[in-house]
Amino acid sequence: MSAIRAVFSYTFKEHVRHRAWLSLALFGLALGGGGLVASALAQEERARMMLDLGLAANEMIALVSVVFLTVHLVLREIESRAIFLILTHPVRRPHYLLGRFLGTLAAVGLGMAALGLLHWGLLRLLGWGGGGSYLLAWLCSLGKTVVMGSLALLLSLALTSEAAAMSFSLSLWVLGHFTAEMHFLAEKSGSAFLRTMIEIVSRAAPDFARLNYRDVWHAGLPTPAWMGAALIYVLGYSAACLALSAQLFEQKEF
Amino acid sequence: MRAPRALAVFGLGAALALAAGSALERESPSLPSLAELPRTPFVQEDAALASAGLRAVAADLAWVQMLQYAGGGIPELTDPPRRPYHHLQDLSLRAARLDPAFHRAYLYGAGVLGWLRGVERVDEAVDILRECLRRDPAEPLCRTYLAAMAYKRKGDNARMLALLDASFDDPRAPTRMRVVLANLYKARSDLARALELWEKIRANPRDEAEHPRAVQQIEELRQRLRERPGT
Repeated sequence: MSAIRAVFSYTFKEHVRHRAWLSLALFGLALGGGGLVASALAQEERARMMLDLGLAANEMIALVSVVFLTVHLVLREIESRAIFLILTHPVRRPHYLLGRFLGTLAAVGLGMAALGLLHWGLLRLLGWGGGGSYLLAWLCSLGKTVVMGSLALLLSLALTSEAAAMSFSLSLWVLGHFTAEMHFLAEKSGSAFLRTMIEIVSRAAPDFARLNYRDVWHAGLPTPAWMGAALIYVLGYSAACLALSAQLFEQKEF
Repeated sequence: MRAPRALAVFGLGAALALAAGSALERESPSLPSLAELPRTPFVQEDAALASAGLRAVAADLAWVQMLQYAGGGIPELTDPPRRPYHHLQDLSLRAARLDPAFHRAYLYGAGVLGWLRGVERVDEAVDILRECLRRDPAEPLCRTYLAAMAYKRKGDNARMLALLDASFDDPRAPTRMRVVLANLYKARSDLARALELWEKIRANPRDEAEHPRAVQQIEELRQRLRERPGT
């Protein structure tokens, strides 16, 4: 446990001090400001547009950050040989991986929280009256970020190419938002084989479409059963990806 | 982590994710498929945004484009001669199908198509309101507008106005519809009520886009009321 904490701590500090992270935070601020200007076009729906744009910008920045940081997380240390130094200490490989992953998530989560607070403050200033749960929308974005981070880590270890891992991660992000469309296609498909294949792919891909509370915010609060299922889904999917990553990392020869 | 333990964690995680995924599917509100989006020049833009997980943002952009179209037109959509707002039904349904909870998109489209002078295509307005009620049967304003539309078809303008008037102060009523109602009273020479409504529009920060017009209308209506014999 102390090994995980030590790796977590140095990973978190490494990310927070990184200039790219700061640039992304500034980019987020610029997007939030842009949203403030663009939402003026929506007239009576200004608060709604400001809400949607801000939540989306926060999630997009978290996505880019988590994919970029996680893909480089282990590969860079392998390339620079820094990993030898760490693994000569009494740190088990899965603990190292988990510490690195959690440290990255904490750094990204901190950025998301800062941007979320700023956005929420702006909305209150604009006279936004609430309705729905901002915290829940933020948590859903964090959940998607956790799943995406674990997938990106798995892909970086499986593919060993940063570019390929990033491309596959982003493709899975898009595929994950198409799960409802895939079910629709499966229903319409005349071929049983095709229907089964589509169903398998749609179950294996992360179901981001259903985790996207942002997109159904205006339809009202989801049920407690939905919230419980979303939490279990995020934990289960990430645990499965992390277990495979740990296994791949264990088998790696440096 | 030894292989059997990693596999056990993987199996447990995957089983939990599969079970929770099925529960999520049951508990999630269903959104219209992208295949149901009306054929507009923006369909690729909508699909791209939806595939990036930005469906609500796509609905907001669709709303802004609808306002731009209704406010003076956009280059991608030109109206045939003598058919103003030809694309408004599609644009309204586009925003509403991207986010079925975007009730104001239904109400705005139906309001303009049903009541704006020189447009009055009641059938198109009724189709929009019916879709609103099909997706959300509990939406009260769509029901009210649909009933008002039925009175309009019958030529019972007094009851139609009474229904619309009752929903004037509802915060969900689109600004455009509030303006339409004020103009309907003005056209019926009920200048006092028209003035009251324009004053309400002028006082409401949500109707900010119509404030310059409200100032102009208030001035004109006051002038006409002063000039009326017996006032």
